Amino acid sequence: MPRPEQRMVTFSIDGLEVTAPENAMLVDAAKYGDVEIPVFCYEPKLGAPVGACRMCLVEIEGIPKLQTGCSTPVKDGMVVHTQTDRVKQAQEAIVEFLLINHPLDCPVCDKGGECPLQDISFGWGGGRSRFIEPKRHFQKPLALSPLVAIDRERCILCYRCVRFSQEIAEDYQLVLEERGAHTYVSTFDGHPYVAPFSGNIVELCPVGALTSQPYRFRARPWDIEGSGSVCTLCPAQCNVTFTVRDERVLRVLGRDNVEVDDGWLCDKGRFAYQAVHVDERVTQPLIRDGGELREVSWERALSEAAAALRRANGRVGAIAGGETTNEEGFLLQRLMREGLGSGDLDSRPGGTLALDLHRALGAPDLQATVADLEFAHSVLVLDCEPVDDMPIVDLRIRKGVRRRHVKLAVATSRPSSLDPNASATARFAPGAGEAFVMALSAALGGGDVAGPAQAAGADAAEIRALGRSLQAGDDVVILYGEQLVSGPRGEHAARALLDLARRLELTSGREGAGLLCVPAGTNGRGLTEAGVLPNAGPGLADVEQSGRDTAAIAAAASAGELTALYLMHCDPLVDLPGRDAWAGALERATTVVAHAAFLTDGVREHANVVFPAESYAEKEGTLTHPDGRVQRLRPAIGHPGATRSEWSVIADLARRLDLDLGVLTGAMASAQLFAAVPFYAGLTLEAIGGKGVRWQEREAAATFPAAEPEAADGAEPPSAADANGRLRLGTFRSIWNATEVRVSPALRFLHPKLRLEISPADAQRLELFQGDHVVVGSDGHTVDATVTLRETMPEGSVFLETNALDGPLVEVRRA
Amino acid sequence: MTKTLLLKGIDEPDLHTLEVYERGGGYQALRKALGMSREEVLHELEVSAIRGRGGAGFAMGKKISFLPKGQMDKYLVCNADESEPGTFKDRELLQKNPHMLIEGMLIAAYAGGITRAFIYIRGEYALQADRLEAALEEAKAAGYVGERVLGSDLSLTMWVHRGAGAYICGEETALLDSLEGKRGNPRLKPPFPANQGLYQGPTLINNVETLATAPTIIRMGGAEYAKLGTTGSTGTKLVSISGHVQRPGNYEIELGIPSREIIYGLAGGPPEGRSVKLWFPGGSSAPVLTGDDLDIPYDFDSLAKAGTMLGSGAIIVVDDSTPVVDVALKVAKFYRHESCGKCTPCREGTNWTVKMLERIDSGEATPMDLDIMAAVCTNIIGNCLCVLGDAMAMPIGSMIVKFRPEFEAHIEAARARNELATTEEAPPEALIQGAVA
Amino acid sequence: MAIDPGRVPRFGHGSRVPGWDEAADLEKDPAPIPDPATTPVPEELRARIEEYMARYPDRRSAAIPALHAVQERYGWCSPEGIEQAACVMRLTPGYLTAVATFYDMLFTQPVGRHDVYVCTNISCSLRGADALFEAFHEHGGGDPEFNIRAFECLGACDIAPMVSIDGNYVGPLAPGEVPEVLDAVRRGEEPFPERQMANRKSTDPNAA
Ligand SMILES: Cc1cc2nc3c(=O)[nH]c(=O)nc-3n(C[C@H](O)[C@H](O)[C@H](O)COP(=O)(O)O)c2cc1C
Ligand code: SF4
Ligand code: FES
Repeated sequence: MPRPEQRMVTFSIDGLEVTAPENAMLVDAAKYGDVEIPVFCYEPKLGAPVGACRMCLVEIEGIPKLQTGCSTPVKDGMVVHTQTDRVKQAQEAIVEFLLINHPLDCPVCDKGGECPLQDISFGWGGGRSRFIEPKRHFQKPLALSPLVAIDRERCILCYRCVRFSQEIAEDYQLVLEERGAHTYVSTFDGHPYVAPFSGNIVELCPVGALTSQPYRFRARPWDIEGSGSVCTLCPAQCNVTFTVRDERVLRVLGRDNVEVDDGWLCDKGRFAYQAVHVDERVTQPLIRDGGELREVSWERALSEAAAALRRANGRVGAIAGGETTNEEGFLLQRLMREGLGSGDLDSRPGGTLALDLHRALGAPDLQATVADLEFAHSVLVLDCEPVDDMPIVDLRIRKGVRRRHVKLAVATSRPSSLDPNASATARFAPGAGEAFVMALSAALGGGDVAGPAQAAGADAAEIRALGRSLQAGDDVVILYGEQLVSGPRGEHAARALLDLARRLELTSGREGAGLLCVPAGTNGRGLTEAGVLPNAGPGLADVEQSGRDTAAIAAAASAGELTALYLMHCDPLVDLPGRDAWAGALERATTVVAHAAFLTDGVREHANVVFPAESYAEKEGTLTHPDGRVQRLRPAIGHPGATRSEWSVIADLARRLDLDLGVLTGAMASAQLFAAVPFYAGLTLEAIGGKGVRWQEREAAATFPAAEPEAADGAEPPSAADANGRLRLGTFRSIWNATEVRVSPALRFLHPKLRLEISPADAQRLELFQGDHVVVGSDGHTVDATVTLRETMPEGSVFLETNALDGPLVEVRRA
Repeated sequence: MTKTLLLKGIDEPDLHTLEVYERGGGYQALRKALGMSREEVLHELEVSAIRGRGGAGFAMGKKISFLPKGQMDKYLVCNADESEPGTFKDRELLQKNPHMLIEGMLIAAYAGGITRAFIYIRGEYALQADRLEAALEEAKAAGYVGERVLGSDLSLTMWVHRGAGAYICGEETALLDSLEGKRGNPRLKPPFPANQGLYQGPTLINNVETLATAPTIIRMGGAEYAKLGTTGSTGTKLVSISGHVQRPGNYEIELGIPSREIIYGLAGGPPEGRSVKLWFPGGSSAPVLTGDDLDIPYDFDSLAKAGTMLGSGAIIVVDDSTPVVDVALKVAKFYRHESCGKCTPCREGTNWTVKMLERIDSGEATPMDLDIMAAVCTNIIGNCLCVLGDAMAMPIGSMIVKFRPEFEAHIEAARARNELATTEEAPPEALIQGAVA
Repeated sequence: MAIDPGRVPRFGHGSRVPGWDEAADLEKDPAPIPDPATTPVPEELRARIEEYMARYPDRRSAAIPALHAVQERYGWCSPEGIEQAACVMRLTPGYLTAVATFYDMLFTQPVGRHDVYVCTNISCSLRGADALFEAFHEHGGGDPEFNIRAFECLGACDIAPMVSIDGNYVGPLAPGEVPEVLDAVRRGEEPFPERQMANRKSTDPNAA
C-alpha cells in the first residue's frame, strides 16, 4: 500500500504563520511554530486520540466552543489561539480539576522531576487550588504485577495504560473498572497484569501512578544519565536508553525509532538489564584446573587459550552466538581463517545454506523492512512466532492489521497468538515447512496442492484459502523464521521460498514488499554478512574452500576430527539443536574456549578457558538488523571486574597466534569491517548514529553479489513423519526462555517451566489432564514436562518448550 | 385544544399486540411509505420539520439526509434509554404501543436506505422490553421486518438490545459504544454518527418518540403535520410532568402552548396552598425556571430564549416546601453518579460540586463557597467531552444565580444550627425548617 | 498519619463499592482469553451467548446480554461466570469485568436474589422517596434474599415514590407499606397489582 503522502498547509497560531503537514493534529502542528499545547491523554503511538483529559483545549476562530487540539486536524488557513484568556482559564481549570484528587506527594514520588503532571501544572496551571475538601486516601502502592506497582491516588485517568493493553498489545488484561470518579485501573479478579509488553505502561503513565518495581526509589532524575544504545536480547534490536547511575544500569527506556521498534519495548528488553549486575555473571577470565573453573589473570587465560588452539593444529571449529557483534564476528572469522587456518565456523544454529541461496535470500531487492509490515497489503507469517522470536514485530503486525487493514495470513506449526487477527491461518506438521511452502506456491500459481499439502500434514483447503489472501502484484511481506530454511532440508525449503516470492512478484525490487527473516540469533544477519559462515567470507564473498557448518562441527568434534571448539556467546547445550550430538562433541573436544557471561551447562561442564563476555550495556560495535539496518552499540557503563572489550580479546589472542589483526580501538575494528564488506563500504559510525542506516538504501548496495540460484526441482518433498500412534514433536522457545530472564531477579518468575502443549483430543486419548506431570521421550531420551492443554493445538502434534529433545516423534506418558 | 396523535387510544386493551394495532390502522403508514420513493418519504419527514424528541432537538429529516448515499451497511439506532430524570414518555409508548415505534423505524429506515436496526432500551424497562420483543417477533412473523418488506426493496434486520443501567448511555455516542459491547463512554465528535457511527458505519440515531411519530407524519403528510405547533417547533409532544403536581403523568400537547397550561391546566399544579418555586422544563439537565416564568410558551425556541431548554420534554415541579439546596444536591449527586469518568471536568467537577453542596447543607460553608461553586460550574460548561457535565453545571449554575439569597440563608441557618448544637440548646424552630425563599 | 481506608466515607450513595485498595494477587496467573480446553461452560449458557453473538456484526456487542445471562444463571457476575462468557465470546475476562462494573444493574459481588431498586432521584424524592428507601433498608436490608439499592430515576415519576422489584414497577408507596411489599415478595407474590406499572392507565384526558 502506498504510504499516505503529506501536503503542507499554512495556518496561524498565536499570530504566527506556521506551515505544517495537513491533517496533523493541532498539538503536533503547533510544534512547527514552536508553540506547545499541553497534553495528557494524547499519545499518537496509541492510535486515534480519545479527547479525555481536555488539557489541550484551544480556541479556533469560527468555532464557538473551545476545541481539543489533540483531535483537531489542522486545515489550511485555520486561525488558532492558545494564549487567550478563555484558553488560559480552561487550562487552569483542567489542572485544578486534575489535582483535586491527586495526592501531591511529589517528595516521595518516583516520577518526581520527570513528571508531565508536575511540568504541566507548573507551566499551565493556576498555581493554586480552591479545593478544600479532604482528599481521598487509599493504600499505596499496590502490586499490579511483580514488575509494576500502581498508586491509584495519583492516577489521573488519562486512559493511556489501558489503551496500550487494549489497542497496542491487544492483551486486554488491563482495564478500567467502575465509573465516574470511582473509575480505577485494574485487572480481572485480582489477576496480575503479566504480559510480554506490560512494562510499556510505566513509560506511558504521565504521573507516578504506574512505577517499575525494580526501579522504584533507585534514583532521582538528577542522579542519572541516559545513554542510548541497542537491545541485543533478540533480533528486533530495539533502540533503548540505559538509565545509568554510578556505573550501574538501573532502567531501560525505549528510544523511539519508527523504523525499528515504533517506540515500544518488550518486558525482557525492559527488565533484563538486571542481568548486567548479578553475582552469577562471569567477570574474570577462568581456566579449568583440576576439573574446576578458577579465576586467573588475562595473561594466563590468553596464553592457555593460545597454546591450546595452536596445539589443535587447525582442527578448530568456531560458533558465534547471536549476540556477537559484526566486529567480533568479523575478527573471529579472521582469527579462524588467517590465524588458525580453519574454515570450520558458523553462526547459524541450523547450519548454512548454499552460498547462492544466502545471496538470493539476502538480496536488497527482495528485502522488506519492519515498517513494511505495517503498510503492506498483506503479511504472511511463516514458521515463526513473532511474540516469542522477535517480540516488537508482533506489535507492528497488530498495528498494521488494526489501523491499516493489512490482511494477515499465518502459517505455522504451533498455533500463533496472531491467529485471531489473521484473515487466514494454516497449520503444518513441525518441520514440514518446505512441503507447506510448495503447496502454497501451487495454490498461488496452479499446480498440485494436495500432494505437498499432505506431505506437510496440512489441510489443502486451508492452504488454498491462505493463498487467496495473498495477491501476486500486491505488496506482500513474508516474515519467515530462520528455522524454515534450516536443517537437512533447509536448502530445498529456501528454494521453495524463493519460488513463492517469485510467484508473488516480490523479486523485482518492489518497494514495501519482500522477505523479512526472523533470524535465530540477535545479529544473525550481521554475522552472515560479516563472514561467519563456513562457505562465505565477509560480504558473502566466495571462499576457496568451504568449511564445516554447525551440525558438521558437532559431528566432527564428536568423531575427534576437530579437537578444539571456540564458542563465542554460544552454549550449544542451551542454544543449539542436537543437544545429544553437542554433548558428545563437548565431551570429546580437548579444548573448549568460550566467551561467556554466565556459566550455563555446557560452559560450566566443558570449557577449558572462559573469557568473560561483555554485557550489551558495555559493548561497542555494530549489529545488523534483520532488515539490513546497521545499528550502533554504545557503551553505557564501564566494564565490571576484569571484563574487557571482546574485540580486543580476539585481537590479543590473535597476536599470540602470530596474527596482527591491526585493531587498536573499537572504531578501527568497525572501519575494517566496513572496508571488508563491499556493500557496507563507506559506512562510518557517525553516519550510523543513533538511528542506524539501512545498507540497502545506500549506493554501495549495488555491490551486493548477485545470485541466480537454481529453482526448486519440484520433486515431492518427504512427508512429515507419520505419527502412527506417537506424536509429532515441535519445539519452541518462549520470549521468557533466556538466560538473562533466569538470572534477573525481577524477571525470574517468568522463566518458563518445561511445558508440553497438547491438543484436548490427544490428551483425552492419553488420559492426561491440565497440569499433569508427564515424561516425553524420543529415541531413548526423556524429559519431564507439565501438560498444558490448548484448544487450538492440531491433533497429533505436541510442542515442548525446550531444545532438549529432537523429534520428529515422541511418546508421552504420565510420570 | 390539543390534538392527540401519539396517545390516541393508548389504553385500548392489548394495543401492544399486532392484531389490535393493525385493527386500528397499524402498518398502513408503512404501506403508504413503501408505495412512495425513498426520496419522497424523506421529503415528507423533512417538510414536517419535526425536531428530535430525545433532548437535542435536531431536525429529524435533516439528520436522515446527512447519511451518505449509496450501497453500504447503514444503521438505525432507536434511543430508548430514557434515563433523564423526570422523563417517562417513551416508556408509555414502548409499553403500550410498541408496534407504532417499529412502524416508525421501518419508515425511517426506508427513507435513509438503512439495512440494520437496533433498539437500545434501558435495562430497567423490563416489562417494556418484553413487550417490545414480543411485538418485534410478531412483526417479523408478519413480514414487516425482514427481507424485502411487503415485497418492497426495503430489507431490515432489527433487534432489541437491553442496557444495564447507565444514564450516559442515552448520549448517542456513548450509546453506540455500549451497543458495541464496550463501556458506555462518549466518543469525540467529529466524526458524527451519520458518517461514522455504529461499527464505524453511517448511523441514524433517534429517540423513541421521534421515530414513533413517523407513521403519523406519513399518514397526515409532512405539510399538514407542520401546521401543528409553532414554526420552529412543529407537531405535538409528549410531556412527562412530575414532582409537586397533583396529576403527574404523560400528556400530549401541541408545542407552543403556555407552560402554565401544562403545569396547572393538565397536571393540576402544586398541592393546595403551595406555589411553584422552581421547575425544570426539560429534565433535570435544563436550567431551572421559577414561578415567574410560567407564561413562557412551551416550545424549543421560546425556552431557549429563556436561557433553558425543552430537552426531553420532562417538567419537574418543585414547590415552596423544598429547600433549593436539597434540589441542587439531588441533581448534583445524580450527575456525579452517572458521569462516565472519561473526561476530567465532568468527572472531577461533578464530584467537587457535590462535596461543596454537602458542606453547604451541613453548615460548613461560607458564601464564598457559592462563588467557587459557580466558578466550578463555569469551568465545566463547554469544556467536556459530551454534555453530561454541562447538564449538571447548567441547572446548578442557574440555581445559584436565581436562588442565591436562599443558599446564603441556608448556609447561615445550618451554621447557626451547628453552633447551637454544640451548646446543646434546642435551636429555634425557624432555623430547622431551612430557609423558605 | 496513615488514614484507615476502611473509614474514609466514599460511597455516600450506597450502590457501588470500588476496589481501589485491592492489589493484584501475585500468586495468580495472568488472565488472558480463557482456553476452551480448560474452561468448561454450561451448554445452555453457551448456546444463549452464541445466539446473542449472532445478532450483531461484531461479537463483542453481545457483552451486556451475555453478562445478563451470567447474572441470571449465577445470581451475580461471578468470576467463574465472567470467565465462561469470556471463553465463549473469545474475549478476556478483564474486558467483561470492565463492562460489568460500568453498569448499575450488573453486580460483581454476590447479591440477594430479588432486586429491589428504590428510585431516590429528584421527582421521587420530592414525593418522599428517601423515607421509602429508608423503610426498605430497615425492613429488608438484613434479608439476604434482597438486593436493596437506591437507584437513579427509573422513568416512573408518575407513580412516585416507587420501587422496581425484579423489574416490576410499583408505586406510589408509603413507607408504612414496605413490610407488606416485602412479605408479598417473600411469598412469591406480586404486591399491589393495581399500583403496578403494567396496569396503569394514561393520565392524559384526551388519550382514550
Ligand atoms: C447525557 C445525555 C443523556 C441523554 N439521554 C437520552 C435519552 O435517554 N434518550 C434519548 O432519546 N436521548 C438522550 N440524549 C440525547 C441523545 O444524545 C440524542 O441527541 C438523541 O437520542 C437523538 O435523538 P432525537 O434527535 O430523536 O432526539 C441524551 C444526551 C445526553 C448528552
Ligand atoms: S495509571 Fe497512569 S497511565 Fe493509567 S490512566 Fe492513570 S494516569 Fe493514566
Ligand atoms: S490531550 Fe487532548 S484531550 Fe487529552
